[in-house]
Amino acid sequence: MQSFKKTTTVTWWVWLAVLIVGGLLLWGTAHDAILYHDPIMRVTAVQQHQTTKETDDFQNVDYQTQQTLTGQLLNTKNRGHQLKVTNTYSASGAMDQRYHVGSQLFVVLHRHAGHLSATVKDRKRDTPLVFMLWLVVGLLLLLMQFSGLMAFLSVAANGVLFFLAILLNGSTQGAQVLWIFGSLAVAFAALTLWLVLGRTRQMLITLATTLGGTLCAILVALLVFHVTHEKGMFYESMQYVTQLPRPLFLAETLLGSLGAVMDESTDIISSLFALKRERPEITPQQIFKSGRQIGSTIMGPLINVLFFIFVADTFPMALLYLKNGNSWGYTFSMNMSMGVVQSLISGIGIVLAVPLASYLASRWLPKEVAA
Amino acid sequence: MSTITVLGLILLLLMVLVGGKAGAQSFLALLLNFGLLFLAIVLVAFHFSPLIVTVVVGLMVLALTIFMSSGDDLSSTVAFIASAIVLVVLVLLIVPVEQWAMVQGFGPEDSEDLEGLSVLVGINFVKVTTATAILSTLGAIAEAAMAISAGLSEILEQHPQVGLKALFGDGISVGKQIIGTTFNTLFFGFFGGFLALFIWFTGVHYSFGEIFNDKIFVSEILMILFAMLSVLLTVPITTWVMTRAAANRRKRTAK
Repeated sequence: MQSFKKTTTVTWWVWLAVLIVGGLLLWGTAHDAILYHDPIMRVTAVQQHQTTKETDDFQNVDYQTQQTLTGQLLNTKNRGHQLKVTNTYSASGAMDQRYHVGSQLFVVLHRHAGHLSATVKDRKRDTPLVFMLWLVVGLLLLLMQFSGLMAFLSVAANGVLFFLAILLNGSTQGAQVLWIFGSLAVAFAALTLWLVLGRTRQMLITLATTLGGTLCAILVALLVFHVTHEKGMFYESMQYVTQLPRPLFLAETLLGSLGAVMDESTDIISSLFALKRERPEITPQQIFKSGRQIGSTIMGPLINVLFFIFVADTFPMALLYLKNGNSWGYTFSMNMSMGVVQSLISGIGIVLAVPLASYLASRWLPKEVAA
Repeated sequence: MSTITVLGLILLLLMVLVGGKAGAQSFLALLLNFGLLFLAIVLVAFHFSPLIVTVVVGLMVLALTIFMSSGDDLSSTVAFIASAIVLVVLVLLIVPVEQWAMVQGFGPEDSEDLEGLSVLVGINFVKVTTATAILSTLGAIAEAAMAISAGLSEILEQHPQVGLKALFGDGISVGKQIIGTTFNTLFFGFFGGFLALFIWFTGVHYSFGEIFNDKIFVSEILMILFAMLSVLLTVPITTWVMTRAAANRRKRTAK
């Protein structure tokens, strides 16, 4: 790690090594069928059948095509066995897909009187996933070197924590979701800031701001929910919900805004520390004022980041609602309203963190900052 | 009053209290961005090409976000040009990867939500999902480009004679400062949204093999990775645009 820090320019052989690792990963995931328990088939021949025109109740025109796929099983004890399966796909492909020679598919095997047949379940997708992962991690390490490694480590560590919390949530049947993810948020923030800043006073101030800002936003949200009786919020429109939706929604919002509030507090407080270092005679009032100024320039773009993450995701479903003859208002309510509420709560947290960070920094900044 | 209205008014009030005029402007930009996003969906529903709509709307969103935030002319212009370049590069990457991974539209986990809806609507969902992935990165691109160009323009102001090569190194080191926290913003932003999905996976006892090949899971993870990649690309591209702008300005003053 030390040598990584010292080399300022990355030499060509490092790039070559990254490329070779990428090639090996791609080759490996294309030939890893043996690792799966579910049967996987590679398509060796495709026979196209005729296309039929479909029109639904809303005059949407689409085309459906049948194809017969011949392929070979790549794993399980029937490895090497030839299979023929049929697949229907549409031109729009919202729920189905067209397969080509070379596609690897998960299939379900059926046995009728010793004869083996199969139906297609889904496509194997680990190769593109690993490719993108390689591309991002490779570029991160090549461009950012040591800082990239730290960024990667903090995301990976948070991922592991997240996974453990989900398992814990599952074992309690989701009854404690808000407590689990609330304490997780504290652990996330402490771990990330410790990795980025180390155990310093700066880290403590940033942590206090992050937790304070997020907590205030949730409290404001709860108060508003109470006053407005949650009018215009459609919990039934949340996707993939398997447990009580309200605490789940709050937990999602809490986690979603945490990263942005942390990002902002880090920016403001590190700038204020730098300011104090340059001008040790600066007064707390001036520090508060500068913090507010720095914060007000970055808060808008940050709220935007979360807004696009929360709301853009609803594009396909909103489109489907519009094409199924629903009004704009109903489409908004059933798809985007919860995302907008989430963005607004996070926005409130992001804005509240500005005065909080400036105030805490102005009070707790050490008299003498080590240069 | 509905919850959205009250929360919106509180946000507006706080933004004006904290940021004054700049805060009000940022709030307006947020409203306009929502309008643009909704417009994009409506246009695609009217069978305009999803990719062209996305690129045009994307450029408008970037311009709005960047020029309506406070910042000097040089850093705003540089941030906009750089983020536009990143957007184009990203489109060139996302289009083939989405085709390859085939994560378009909806998965088996969506079937309950899809009840009673016709899915054969005659719009290519590979393109729609590509558009979704591009749109969800816009905020991150704009934020990163603005942070880098603001940092560099401050360095230029304090050391007007800094060498172009040194300036490039400065850009990368500004990038190193923001990368850790920005990645975490993206990680939490996306994972907060997917919490319900992940709880579903553990509740229904998906195997790892099933999760890593699941349409919805892969599609969501790809979205995070595209967003992270866009931030990564923004660092050298913004720095490069800034060095070009600085070189041009020096040539002009030298004449």
